[in-house]
Amino acid sequence: MGLTSSILMSPFHLLLQQLANGFTIGAIYALIALGYTMVYGVIQLINFAHGEVFMVGAYLALTALLILGVAQPLTGVALAGVLTACVALAVGGCGMLGWGIERLAYRPLRRAPRLTALITAIGVSFFLQNAVMLLYGATDRRFPAFIPARRWEWGGTSLTLLQVVIWLTSGVLMVALQMLVTSTKLGKAMRATAQDPNACRLLGIPVDRIIALTFALGSGFAAVGGMLFGLYYNTVNFHDGYLTGLKAFTAAVLGGIGNIPGAMVGGLVLGILEGLGAGYLSSQWKNVFAFVVLVGLLVFKPTGLLGERVADRA
Amino acid sequence: MRSEHTTTSRTQSQFRIPHSAFRISGWAGGCALALVFPLIHPHPYHLDVLTTAGVYVILALGLNVVVGFTGLLHLGYAAFFAIGAYTYGLLNLRLGWPFWVGLGPAAMAAGLSGVLLGIPALRVRGDYLAIVTLGFGEIVRIAVTNLEPWTGGPNGLLGIAHPAVWIPGSGVYAFGVESMPYYYLVLAVAVSVTMVCVRMGRSRVGRAWAAIRDDELAASCCGIDTFQLKVLAQGVGAAIAGLAGAIFAAKQGTITPDSFDFILSVMILAMVVLGGLGSVRGVVVGALVLGTLPELLRGFEQYRMLAFGAIMILMMRWRPQGIFGHPPSSSGVSHGRAAA
Amino acid sequence: MSVRFLWALLLVLAGCGRQDPVVKLGFVAPLTGDQAPQGQSMRNGAVLALEQAKARGDILPGYRVELVELDDQHSPTQAVAAAKKLAADPDVVAVVGNLNSSCTMPASAIYYQARMLQITPVSSNPQISRQGFDTFYRTCATDDLQGPAAALFVARELGARRVFLLDDMTTYGRGLANEFKKKLRALGAQVLGHEGITQGDKDFTPLLTKIKALAPDLVYFAGMFPEGALLIKQRAEVGLGGRFMGGDGLFDPVLIELATPQAADGIYLTTIGSDVHRIPTAQEFVKAYEARYGSIGAYSAYAYEATSIALWAMQRAGTKDRRAVLAAMKTLHDYPGLFGLQNFDERGDSLIRDIGLFTVKNGKFVFLKTASWD
Repeated sequence: MGLTSSILMSPFHLLLQQLANGFTIGAIYALIALGYTMVYGVIQLINFAHGEVFMVGAYLALTALLILGVAQPLTGVALAGVLTACVALAVGGCGMLGWGIERLAYRPLRRAPRLTALITAIGVSFFLQNAVMLLYGATDRRFPAFIPARRWEWGGTSLTLLQVVIWLTSGVLMVALQMLVTSTKLGKAMRATAQDPNACRLLGIPVDRIIALTFALGSGFAAVGGMLFGLYYNTVNFHDGYLTGLKAFTAAVLGGIGNIPGAMVGGLVLGILEGLGAGYLSSQWKNVFAFVVLVGLLVFKPTGLLGERVADRA
Repeated sequence: MRSEHTTTSRTQSQFRIPHSAFRISGWAGGCALALVFPLIHPHPYHLDVLTTAGVYVILALGLNVVVGFTGLLHLGYAAFFAIGAYTYGLLNLRLGWPFWVGLGPAAMAAGLSGVLLGIPALRVRGDYLAIVTLGFGEIVRIAVTNLEPWTGGPNGLLGIAHPAVWIPGSGVYAFGVESMPYYYLVLAVAVSVTMVCVRMGRSRVGRAWAAIRDDELAASCCGIDTFQLKVLAQGVGAAIAGLAGAIFAAKQGTITPDSFDFILSVMILAMVVLGGLGSVRGVVVGALVLGTLPELLRGFEQYRMLAFGAIMILMMRWRPQGIFGHPPSSSGVSHGRAAA
Repeated sequence: MSVRFLWALLLVLAGCGRQDPVVKLGFVAPLTGDQAPQGQSMRNGAVLALEQAKARGDILPGYRVELVELDDQHSPTQAVAAAKKLAADPDVVAVVGNLNSSCTMPASAIYYQARMLQITPVSSNPQISRQGFDTFYRTCATDDLQGPAAALFVARELGARRVFLLDDMTTYGRGLANEFKKKLRALGAQVLGHEGITQGDKDFTPLLTKIKALAPDLVYFAGMFPEGALLIKQRAEVGLGGRFMGGDGLFDPVLIELATPQAADGIYLTTIGSDVHRIPTAQEFVKAYEARYGSIGAYSAYAYEATSIALWAMQRAGTKDRRAVLAAMKTLHDYPGLFGLQNFDERGDSLIRDIGLFTVKNGKFVFLKTASWD
């Protein structure tokens, strides 16, 4: 980084850069939003602890890097190996965590009023946040960048390899999940559970296992999101789940909660809205901008961008 | 929505006289204990914790009108609390209005913003309403932070006047940083709000709210103007939060935007749910428990919030319907829907 | 209740009886929640100060001195509750805290009423000491000194004419940025814009891309190191040129680690007081702290200093009495503290008002000089 003065960019390339930036953070929101939306789709529960699972995913990936002693960008076989280890630990750990949260905290409350699980979710949230703070310390930790720092420039607009990796991962996982839900036996069981769990039981579908699996799967996606988040920003903090989780939840609702492509669209739209808001209006008003658009959209299209009408609650 | 059978059979308690008598004696006993507590145990810290918990009680009662009575999930309730606090703070600092004069406008400003939010927002249904209210809460907090010339920005408002009362025979008594006067002020307001809430829950309007909560479609078929009543619930709930906000501002003397964040909205909702949705006494108890718990757990030091989270989980396992909620009926509730 | 239990109780009571009576020093800071990193590094400083004072025997004789650590989660409501808890405990004679000005402000009224000495290590909002509370002291310089000092350096020595301001929308950040802006305008430099960022946010690339299009000579950030590190790193990534400067909230070695040493190279920052590593009187503290807790946090030294002074006042008072401690504090003159000889003005503000100027070179903070503010 030199002390030279910046090169002026043309408005077009500036816009392009802002879109690329927004698209990247939007893709991460989308990955986390998938978890919110899957759980909601199956049992109409807003799993407020999901943001914390995402944060744990980032810390597990970091743990893998610390164990392997990775400190700088890698290539070839080393890169593939480290990536596999990171994904395995983060996804495996978070999958188990999601499964455990469902089993211990939510399953006993299946027959309780809808909002009961909300308190449990907040409790789980506090617990995970503080557990991570006690285990890893309160200070932000550096997340080593192990993906090669390749970048392409075009008239002042730059794009990094990592950004492309984030877009692709997010897109591929979303398509895979959509295929799983629409055209596998497991997906069919999930959709059936969403419609009528009692009838499912009569038909011999293991409803409890399907729900637990939904949690585990959603948590796995959050873990991938956490790892990419760590790679993109290179810092993690025990408090990261809160704001990002809130945004991802917003994205899920924006797209139409319970709808998988909706979560993707919602994440990208929110990311781009934030990017443009901070880039062209004002950074300190960017969340206001995003929420005003959200509220306005829901008032005119009360089911989100791609959603169906959902249950009334309380 | 089918799941609501779990919480319907609530308002029929007047037909069970012994139970009702028990309940009234419970209220009376609670009030009596609250009245004499500072006299037998004048510990300023304990009184301060209870005063703060009392402010939570008022807030939870207000949110209960929206969530418990009418069944509208609201995730931005702290915004109304903020509007009340800043209204009194600004009226006091800019125009020199004393607390007792500022209290009414604070409640009115919050109530009005509740109605104004309600008119567009209540077109949105179910969980989408939750996100609209969440957005509103964030918008208000960020606006208060950013509108520095009016609200003092992140510094907030400093030097807001404490209340003062005129006592016959001994002149004007100004509240300072002593805990006891605030304790009685909050107690008086909390008891009044509780009485209003109990009456409201049993009134014609309260029954209409319950009808909307249990089945909005059926309610509108019965000729209930559901939109108007939902806006009314939002307005009443917001006004109560405004009242609490003015008291909070007067007690603290300093208010900053970070006192009114999303966590607060969620915590108040948790108090309502913990006590038992729609049950006024449940909400009072829920707010007292969750309001004092973080202070009770101080001995755990760094493990304090960890323990707090664990206790929240265990409490809901112990009583999923809330402390004073009705146990779920075993018939007619479909498994998955009731779960969520 | 069993007989055995009664015996045990009796033994415990007897054990207590043999020990010295207790006198307590309160310590309040955010120990959990989003500001836990800063609060915990302050706590480490306070704990170390007490231990060293005990080892030297510089404590109230005949008493067992304890530190009561309370968490305020950077919430003013909890700060008031903690203050009342301390005020109500007759064993507590003085308090060190809080971190955030928004917490110190309402708490100071309670300590004043309880006639209890309060020393805040780092709450730098000038308003707090203007309330007229004789119980209030602080060991750091206020924001109305640090901001102008930075502005002078930027305008006169770096020669920057076009500056963009950022702050983290906290009491501290906005206050510092406003003081900086006032002085900078008076010096004739152009403020291209002043924007807030959200604490806990991670993505500042849209904002930095926008700033890049304005091509400023310098970007000034008033805020804490987690956001500062991301700004510095992302500034390199979006290719925003010009210089970068920040306030004392950035002065933590973790900043360089998080931002990467390459991206942090050449940034400037001011600190309240000069570099503890360079002050001869602070070497013992630096060695002991680093051996035990690792790198020194931005506020560890201030917490250490405030705690040491509170313990000195308690020892000087010679008795477990709040008013006596307060009276002893008023006699303080040329206390040999970490930053040199410590004295306080009539408002309770420290007279050590050095503003240190640092840059980053090869992954380390390098002290440039002591800056002046007028």
